[in-house]
Amino acid sequence: MEPHEQSSSPPIRHVELKAILLLTLVAALVTGFVLYVLYARGVFEDTQKLVLIADDSEGIAVGANLTFSGFPVGRVQRIELSKNGKAKIEVEVPVKDVHWLRTTSVFTLERGLVGGARLRAFTGNLDDPPLPDGAERAVLRGDATEQLPVLLATMRSVLDKIERMTAPDSDLNASLANLRVVSERMTGRYGALGGLLGGDENAKKVIDALDRSNALLASLGGVSAKLGRTLDKADARVFGAGGVMDETQQAITQLNAVLGDARASLKKADAVLAEAQKVGANTAAATEDLAALRAEVEASVRKVGSLIDEVNRKWPFKRDTELKLP
Amino acid sequence: MPERMEPIAFRLRRAGFAAVAFATALSPSAYDPAARRVAARQIYFSAWQILPGFTLACAALSWVLIRIVLSSSNAYGLSAYALELTVRVLVLELIPLFAALFVGLRSGAAINTEVVLMHIRGDLDAQQRAGRDPLRHELVPRVIGSAVAVMLLAYLNCAVALLLTYYEMYGISPWGLAQFLRITGEVFAPVATIGLAIKTLLFGIAVAVIPITSALAVPRLQRMAAVAVLRGMVSLVLALAVIEGSFLAIMYV
Repeated sequence: MEPHEQSSSPPIRHVELKAILLLTLVAALVTGFVLYVLYARGVFEDTQKLVLIADDSEGIAVGANLTFSGFPVGRVQRIELSKNGKAKIEVEVPVKDVHWLRTTSVFTLERGLVGGARLRAFTGNLDDPPLPDGAERAVLRGDATEQLPVLLATMRSVLDKIERMTAPDSDLNASLANLRVVSERMTGRYGALGGLLGGDENAKKVIDALDRSNALLASLGGVSAKLGRTLDKADARVFGAGGVMDETQQAITQLNAVLGDARASLKKADAVLAEAQKVGANTAAATEDLAALRAEVEASVRKVGSLIDEVNRKWPFKRDTELKLP
Repeated sequence: MPERMEPIAFRLRRAGFAAVAFATALSPSAYDPAARRVAARQIYFSAWQILPGFTLACAALSWVLIRIVLSSSNAYGLSAYALELTVRVLVLELIPLFAALFVGLRSGAAINTEVVLMHIRGDLDAQQRAGRDPLRHELVPRVIGSAVAVMLLAYLNCAVALLLTYYEMYGISPWGLAQFLRITGEVFAPVATIGLAIKTLLFGIAVAVIPITSALAVPRLQRMAAVAVLRGMVSLVLALAVIEGSFLAIMYV
């Protein structure tokens, strides 16, 4: 239509001006877009560097945010493997936001079930010294999915156990069957007792035993009444007037008198003993004299013996060895 | 007959024409007053005339898509990713492709038809014989007009879509600006931004160059005019799909 008829079509008013306007608009859009992107990517912001050291940088991409209380305060600029095998995440923090990060701040790397990993900063005390430029910090890891395998394994074992418990030949089913038998018995003539003892016959025996026990208790009641009467009598005999207790008291009084006499007798015996001691002492002295006397007698006897020997020697005709004591 | 079209066809056929046209468009010496007037008319027809209508249509389409993305992401609890998804889908992919298709189907078809008619009538050869370079005065201005139209429509509607997205997400409050800047800043990484610029430029060139080469490739027979337009449009759509697919692969694969 228009273009190929341009040679014959009527001239369009200000066509070159309109074309220049459109070209200017394109140039303005391109320039504005480039400036917008540069501004949005933080090219015009003063930043400082923060290096986060993580065991694993999986899920973190260049351009990811470092958030503080849910607000982005930094952007991952570069990720590389350090010489010691750990991931080195370089984060650029705008200077206007750097006051949220302090030397005591803690950094975490969390992975959710949806979306990429999240870098988060926590600052306990905002009065601590500010984080220096180029600071290196370790990243703590918190991973929701990491616990999943463990959780699944645990769940599986739990489910296995439940399956075993609910199997037709399981202990639980057997117990329930037994319970049903017991409860059926409980609905019998003897109720819970029949259920507990395994049958009505046993329950009947127990009830008979109980009846007999009741009879026994009744007879025991009579016995205890007799015993009570006996005790009353005994009480009267023991504690009544002229009873055992009174006589016992008199006997104790007499015993006291006897004891007084005995004490006097003992004093006398003490005196006798003192005398006897003296006699003993004299006897000891006499005994010592006896020893001396005996020694003298022995000496005299030996002298007499030696004299007889002498006489015998001097009386040779007489061989009579009989000694005539004077 | 074929040997009469040889000089132009030799110069203009196939992909080499795109490079020749691009180089000619960039050389200031190519713009004598006549060429400048033709280029201005082409820009006027390809861009100025359709700018309000296309912008309105594109804004309506963008608004619908933004609403769909926002409401479904809210329903699935993924609203944090709604803005990024919207910007990636609309601004980086759909709007440039939509603009290229629109300009291609409107101006590309027109260019294809008029060039094939000029070719069949022998106007181009006549101009060449008369000492007027048909490349500089007829073909390159059309390429410039289409490229400018595609870039203008794409960039302007990208801006409109960004504004609409902001309005839909945060209303007229300025407090969403920081988050909006941060997320769009992440989306417009250097690769994505340069890719968008190159892709739009390639779309603009393809929209004019493919119809022109298709028009010049057919024999000079009246009945071949329809065949040339048909081939030109099919090749154009295929070329746009290939360019878009290649950039998607570069960006995300």
